This record gives sequence, structure tokens and C-alpha cells, in this order.
Amino acid sequence: MRTHVRLTRAWSPRHRNRALSGRRGWLTEPVPKRHNEVRDPVHVFIEFDHAERAVIDSRPFQRLRDVHQLALSYLVYPGASHKRFEHSLGVMELAGRIFDVVTRPDKVNDAVRDVIPEHGGPEHQYWRAVLRIAALCHDLGHLPFSHAAEEALLPEGWDHERLSREIIHSPEMASVWESMPRPKPEPDDIVKLALGPRRIEKLGLGLSFDPWQAILAEIIVGDVFGADRIDYLLRDSLHTGVAYGRFDHNRLIGTLRIIPDAPEGGDAAVDPDPQLGCERGGLESAEALMLARYFMFAQVYYHAARLAYNEHLKDFLTAWLPGGRFSTDIDAHLAVSDSAVLAAIHAAAADPLAEGHDPARRIVHREHFRIAYSRRPDDIGLATEAIAGAAADEFGPENVRYGASPRRGEPPDFPVLDRDGSSVSSLSLSEVLTKLPASRDEYVFVEPSLRDRAKAWIADHRDDVIEQAMAEQAREEEVN
Amino acid sequence: MNRLAQEAVLVGLARRLHDRGSWGGETHLQKATYLLRELREVPFDFDFILYKHGPFSFELRDELGSMRADQLLKREVQVPPYGPRFVVTERGRELEQRFARTMDRYGDGLDWVAEWLSDRGVMELERLATALWVTREFGERAPVEERAGRLHQVKPHVSIAEAADAVREIDEMLAEASTMLG
Repeated sequence: MRTHVRLTRAWSPRHRNRALSGRRGWLTEPVPKRHNEVRDPVHVFIEFDHAERAVIDSRPFQRLRDVHQLALSYLVYPGASHKRFEHSLGVMELAGRIFDVVTRPDKVNDAVRDVIPEHGGPEHQYWRAVLRIAALCHDLGHLPFSHAAEEALLPEGWDHERLSREIIHSPEMASVWESMPRPKPEPDDIVKLALGPRRIEKLGLGLSFDPWQAILAEIIVGDVFGADRIDYLLRDSLHTGVAYGRFDHNRLIGTLRIIPDAPEGGDAAVDPDPQLGCERGGLESAEALMLARYFMFAQVYYHAARLAYNEHLKDFLTAWLPGGRFSTDIDAHLAVSDSAVLAAIHAAAADPLAEGHDPARRIVHREHFRIAYSRRPDDIGLATEAIAGAAADEFGPENVRYGASPRRGEPPDFPVLDRDGSSVSSLSLSEVLTKLPASRDEYVFVEPSLRDRAKAWIADHRDDVIEQAMAEQAREEEVN
Repeated sequence: MNRLAQEAVLVGLARRLHDRGSWGGETHLQKATYLLRELREVPFDFDFILYKHGPFSFELRDELGSMRADQLLKREVQVPPYGPRFVVTERGRELEQRFARTMDRYGDGLDWVAEWLSDRGVMELERLATALWVTREFGERAPVEERAGRLHQVKPHVSIAEAADAVREIDEMLAEASTMLG
């Protein structure tokens, strides 16, 4: 890897001259640098040590140089051509910073002191190292073009997190772990922190988290203060030019604390389960983060045109890939990244007889499907999908697609360390957090020439289609 | 259960907890759902992991968010320091009525779990649900002391004595549930 490298104590001209003098023969071989750094548009400089460099230099990590962070969003936001590589470095940088703040002895809350390893002790150092490595590894399993259409393009039970887990456990990465100083990181520890409990639950990996490990995973993949989220919002905002994604992350990180959870009901004064929370003074920064996320989801990540392109990309890959699926073999996975797929898309777009010609043409010539229906605030959950199904019956399945953002879930309720030292529910303090919309973005897309007809047809049939879909679900349940 | 039926059952659960004076926060719904699935064979499509306050499902958390977005539940914010509680909306009640047969099928189980849990605090819910988790892990015939030791291991703030009480209570619930299921 070529990086901008600042000369360090371990290998500088002064050391080099001394080595060349022959007084210490073993120094005639270059000593690996203890600390390297690269410039970064978000964090200015990102430092990493020799062990982390071994991960960065590995083939799975280098592949991330060719995986777009935001899939085909660059067709909507031309600046969005950044890659998973620099994002993963950014997550490592932020995870290390958060760890250092929340484990500083003067910042550790007495009520949770037992959970946190002794500052500077071997366990503390081990978990700091594992945390930063896990942060580097959290996206290793991404398919070409990141999240787009992952579920449809992998065998059942597989997703990019499971691929990440397989890569971390692969013989190739085993040699990287083996090259590290003792205590060497346990692959399962890396997996736990890189994937977090939500994905571990879904994948059924049977790994459990003690309170400390749960907090460390939260530092990387947490819903509120996760380094992954902080970095992608800042980075994606910068590259897309969408200013909504910015917030005062330095202030936020400075106020993060490990504190007892706030009581949920009226019965407990203190909940001993420790959580990652923030001081009262950081609440506004946390609100700004959650608002940034909301705006970025609406404006960038699930922009309607991006969702339509996702569908065309999925259609192309289904036609182009052998058996319509990506391989879960690790070597095969590592061999395919965005460049190969893009080359195939351009070739197919130019050849009317090629597999996947139509979706490839739509991507290359920007002739994506257009919105015929978008979810209304009063729609019941299955409404838009039911309308898409009915429209496909009417206009042909090749002319209609359903696209949706993931479910947003509840705004997380994190503990806030109030000025009197008590833990308070963020949702009881913040009107902003309680008012964040929870509904998802859902669309029915149609072939552009059919848009007006489809819109008129949906306007006429919407109510009947939704009523029919609900009745069908009730009937189905009775039969079962 | 299909998605709407599952939502109707969750609405029914939230309503029963509320009617019995429960705090009705997320932890109540999480633990009651886990117990219903494990003890009363209500086929919820959620995976649980040992996490926040014991068995916890991120899928259920997302589902509650969706139900709020669909205006089946609403969240009532409480005065500091307490977290919010879930309340059933008129639209939620309509969904329950639409799935009347589903509610007939699972209504006894919902009443049963609401009776057991409605007046419990979060710490008690954590102990009980985790006791069931370790009972599933070790088997119902495993000695109370062994299961209590494991509970204490995964939740160190629960004393051995509290853990043993929770395991005994779960054994009682298991016996009662098994009689009711026939």
C-alpha cells in the first residue's frame, strides 16, 4: 500500500544512518514503522500501527478500494464515488477515539466501574486493539455496490455480515492474526465487535455478549453512537454535498460515557445494566446526529431514483451472475468488486442480445423506472407492496418494481448522565428524539412510458387493493 | 403467523398489559413476547439474543417501530427519568377486531402472561426471562442451583439467591403452561 507516511521514531533518516553504520547489524533491515498515518477528508489524519497495517494491506481490505460506499448513488449525486476503504479507516479512527474517552479513569462512572477493565492493563489494551481491528473489518463482506439487493443475490441465510465473519475466520486472515503481537486477537472477538448483537442474533452464530463486549460492539455498530454511523454520515454528507449529514461529532464524542441505563418503569431507581450514553451537555449533539440520519436517509440513502437503480442493478446481476447469485466462496467473493460489474453492465448495455441488456441499458443511459405511487402517511404496512403487486398484474411484471427503505425502527432510548449524576431516559428529555418519524419510504416504480396510466390506475384501485390484501391476510391466518 | 396477524397479537398483548396497570414499556413487551413464544407456543417470528435485560429481539424492536409508524401503537413519553410506554391506538383496536379469530386462538395465552408480568418491574422481568433462557440452555431437569449459577454468571448484578427464586418461578410457570397447553 502506498500512503502518505510521516517518518517516525522507528524508521527515520537518523535511525537509518545509524543502521547503515553497521554498529548494530540487525538494524540494517528496515524496522517496520510503529505508526503510519494517511490523510483523510473527514478526520484530517488517521493513524494506524503495524498490526493494523497488516489488516489494511490484506487482500480482503484492499478490495474495499473498489466497492462504492453508496452503490449507484453517484448517478444522482455525482460526488458520491467514495469507497468502503476510506470509510473503514474512518470507523477505526472514531472507534479508537470513543474508546479512549469512555475508558478514561476520570470519566468512568462508579456504578459501572466493575464492568470496565483496569485502564492501561493488559485487558484494556487487548480490547482497544481488538476494537480498532474489528472496526477495520466490519465491512469486509460487502458485495459489489454495497447493500444494493443483497438479500436477493445471496443464498438464503447469507448476507454481507456473514461473509465478513467467514473472511475474519479464513486461513488468509488467520495468517494476519498470527503475525500480530501477543495477545493475538481472537477471531470470534473481532466478529462480535464488528457485527454486533443484532447481526449475531440474525445469523444465529450463538455468540453471547457480556456487558463490556456489548458496549464495545455498540462503539462500532451502535444505533446511536456507533463509529460506523458517525463516519458514514459525515463522509457521505461531504461527498454528496448534502449538508444535512453534518453534526458536531467532536462535541458528541467528548461527552460519551458508560453509565447505568435509565429506569424504564417507576419501580427502579437505578438500572445496573451499563449502556453507552452521553452527558447532559452532549444531548443536543446526539439530537443533531439523529436528525442528520433522518435527513440523509430521506435525501440520499433511500432517494427514490437510487431505489429505482437498485432494482435495475438487481435485475442485471440476477441475469448476469451464474445461477443468479453471488458465490459465498471467499476467494470468489474477493475476486469480484465494482469494476468487474460495471464493465459487464457497459458491455451488456451495448449488446441487445446480452443477458441483462435491458436493466444495463437503463443504468448506463439513466432511463430508470419512475414513481407511480409513494407510501402515504396513513397507509398500513403492507399497502405499497400490495399496490405494486396489483400494478404488476395489470401492467406486466417486467414493467413494475417495488422499492423501499428498511424499517426505521424506534428512535433509540439511551441513558443521559444528568447534572445531578443520575441516569435519565433520552426520550424523557428530548422532544426532538420523540418526534422523529418512524415510517419507511416505499414506492411503486413503473416503466417511464407507463407512468401516467399507472398513476391513474392506482388512484382508482388503491383502496380496494389494500382492503383485499388485509382481508387476504386475515383469511390466511384463519386457515392456518 | 403472517405480519398483520402478528401485529394484531402484539396489540392485544400491549392492551392487556396496559389494562392490568403495567408500565408497558419496551422491556415489558420484549419479555412478555419471549415468554409467550417459549411457554405458550405463540409463533412469533422473532429471534432473541441474550442482550439488554436478558432475552431481547432487535426484530421485535423494529416491529414496534413499524407499528408506531402504522399508528397501531403510540408512545407516551414520561417525566424524567423514566422511559416511554406503549399505548394501543384506535387503529390498533380495529386491527385486533379484524383478526378476531387469531385473537381467540391466542387470547388465553395473552391473558395468562399479562397476569404474570403486568405488575413486575424491569429488574424482575430481566431475572425471569433470563431464568427461562438458562432453563432452555441447561434443560428443565437441571438443578435450580446450576441454572441460578449460570444466570448469575450472565447477569452478575443478579444475586445467586435472586437467581434461584427466578428459576423456581419459571419452573412454576412452565408447569402451569404445560397443563394449559394440554
